[in-house]
Amino acid sequence: MITCPSCGRQHRPGTLFCSECGVYLPTGGPLRTEPLPEEELPASRANPWATGEGEVGVEAPPKTLRIIMLDSGRQVQLPAAPELYLGRLDAAHGIFPDLDLTADGGLEGGVSRRHAKIHQQGNRFFIEDVGSANGTFLNGQRLTPYLPHPLHDGDELQLGKLRLKVILE
Amino acid sequence: MEIEKDYYAILGVGPAATGEEIKKAFRALARRYHPDVSDAPDAVERFQEIQEAYEVLSDEARRKAYDRARAEAGLSDQAILAWELTVSRQSLPAIPEEQILYLMVEISPAAAMEAKRLPLNLCLVIDRSTSMQGERLNQVKAAAYQIIEDLRESDTFSVVTFSDRAEVVLSGLRGSDKTLARARLNAIRASGGTEILKGLEAGVEQVRKRKRLRAVNHIILLTDGHTYGDEEACLALAVEARNQGIGISAMGIGEDWNDQFLDLLATKSGGVSAYVDSAAQVRTLLRKRVQGLGSIYAQDIQLLLRFAANVRLESAYKVSPYIIRLEPSQDRISLGPLEATSPLSALLEIVVGPQKPGRHRLMQLEVTGDVIAIGRQGERLRRELWFSITENPTGEGEVPANLVNALNKVTIYRMQEQAYQALESGNAEKASEQLALVATRLLDIGELELAQAARLEAGRLARTGRLSPEGWKKLKYGTRSLTMGPVGGEG
Repeated sequence: MITCPSCGRQHRPGTLFCSECGVYLPTGGPLRTEPLPEEELPASRANPWATGEGEVGVEAPPKTLRIIMLDSGRQVQLPAAPELYLGRLDAAHGIFPDLDLTADGGLEGGVSRRHAKIHQQGNRFFIEDVGSANGTFLNGQRLTPYLPHPLHDGDELQLGKLRLKVILE
Repeated sequence: MEIEKDYYAILGVGPAATGEEIKKAFRALARRYHPDVSDAPDAVERFQEIQEAYEVLSDEARRKAYDRARAEAGLSDQAILAWELTVSRQSLPAIPEEQILYLMVEISPAAAMEAKRLPLNLCLVIDRSTSMQGERLNQVKAAAYQIIEDLRESDTFSVVTFSDRAEVVLSGLRGSDKTLARARLNAIRASGGTEILKGLEAGVEQVRKRKRLRAVNHIILLTDGHTYGDEEACLALAVEARNQGIGISAMGIGEDWNDQFLDLLATKSGGVSAYVDSAAQVRTLLRKRVQGLGSIYAQDIQLLLRFAANVRLESAYKVSPYIIRLEPSQDRISLGPLEATSPLSALLEIVVGPQKPGRHRLMQLEVTGDVIAIGRQGERLRRELWFSITENPTGEGEVPANLVNALNKVTIYRMQEQAYQALESGNAEKASEQLALVATRLLDIGELELAQAARLEAGRLARTGRLSPEGWKKLKYGTRSLTMGPVGGEG
């Protein structure tokens, strides 16, 4: 038998998708996120006070947020919602991120099950690390956990080693 | 053009020969049999025949017409149904436990058989109960006008309305007689209850009277409500209609109709069911449905599965035109009609028991169908499938992308089914979690709008323990249409 890395359900060999949580089994792996060596991740820290200027009070048409997974090439348009979680799905422990990065090499890239969240206020989007093992980086600078940073069109995010591009339009 | 002559044999080429091959074969033969150079006694005759064959086969339109005419006359052994089989793996490791193998079967009209529109023998069965009053009935009338506008000379069209009784509004209208028809439709008024059986009985009667072998004999039921107490009789009627070659499609308008009943009704009769979430959509969806019916190429497509020992079927789903669970009866699976415009495909999940290394027979697979487009009954394709068991598999090959893609969508559809089952058995919490998963998977494949609907329903379930009927129908008919690309709720 093979075990679903996400929900732990047992399947017969050759099964391609977990019937319980929909994970593509051939790319699944062990569940735990391993801490990555420090030298593999960017070192500089982001300054939470230095960003977000010049956008307040400007009335603009509603924007949509698109994320491009730079390693897998996958693109996802995110739904309009006050909060969206990014991470790896783990149905056995009731962790259901809105954007599941398992299929994009999330596990090998050191993405935590609960890694980061994006929240929306009017027309502005913020990224916040939610205590991930390997950190969230905005344009190469590491974010202080639980401190939201504004997102801009063209920003590059890094979750562990997984690189994402932000498109706001 | 004489269809009794086999022009391919005369030129010595296969039925799939390219234009270039045909030209080459012709030149070689023409040189040999030209009356100026040949001493053969029948050289003149042969040369004329070669020329005639070349004239037909080198002209694409004439070649097609010739192929079709020969197929219709049963003269060619050329296939008129084509199929493609894809397995997830060719070789399996030798392990002492059961393994899963997927098989995708895609059936389409053979390439040479170009689609031609069949005559329609159609009856619209319209619910005119009180709840249809206003916008809904007006839109249905507008949709019916549209069908009348689109009618061709060879089509016949009837309209039956029902509430607690049925009335025949139009009986066998021909393509030429449109003015009176509009006036009659216009006079339909809403009142009374919803007794679907009465309407269906009258509809079946209308279609039966004008039934033709080489036509699509079909009923489209439009309703916005529940029928009370006559469900069983309706389903029995659907089976009876199917046995007479009459299909039933059902369209539910709004959120108050019984989706399980209409799905079953359509499945039993070889038709389709669809969800119309707003009255404004009636016209587009109905028109699309009628166009789909006109392009029906073959009816009653069935898969016949004869598994080898130690091999069995775990589950079967139709993938295209839309996703639905298939119920095998013994070794037979009914797939419904094949429309020329969209391929018919099914995905089988097969369990293979432990076997010794070597080559093994997996199954014999047969497809049968009545190709009404050219009036051929009982057309048949058959193939033996094999697989090998190896002691040391040298790296798993890539699973074909089209199979993974289809299976991904079927999986999402099944997860949505499981959510509903969890709710039915009283476990709203589990159902909510399951729908949250569905939302994530929908987002994975870029279905933003459906993902949003699933999120909303998951949240609603968690808060209130209930689903909203319209949200639920949107999700159900949306996920089952995932294989059709980004269109509305039609199925």
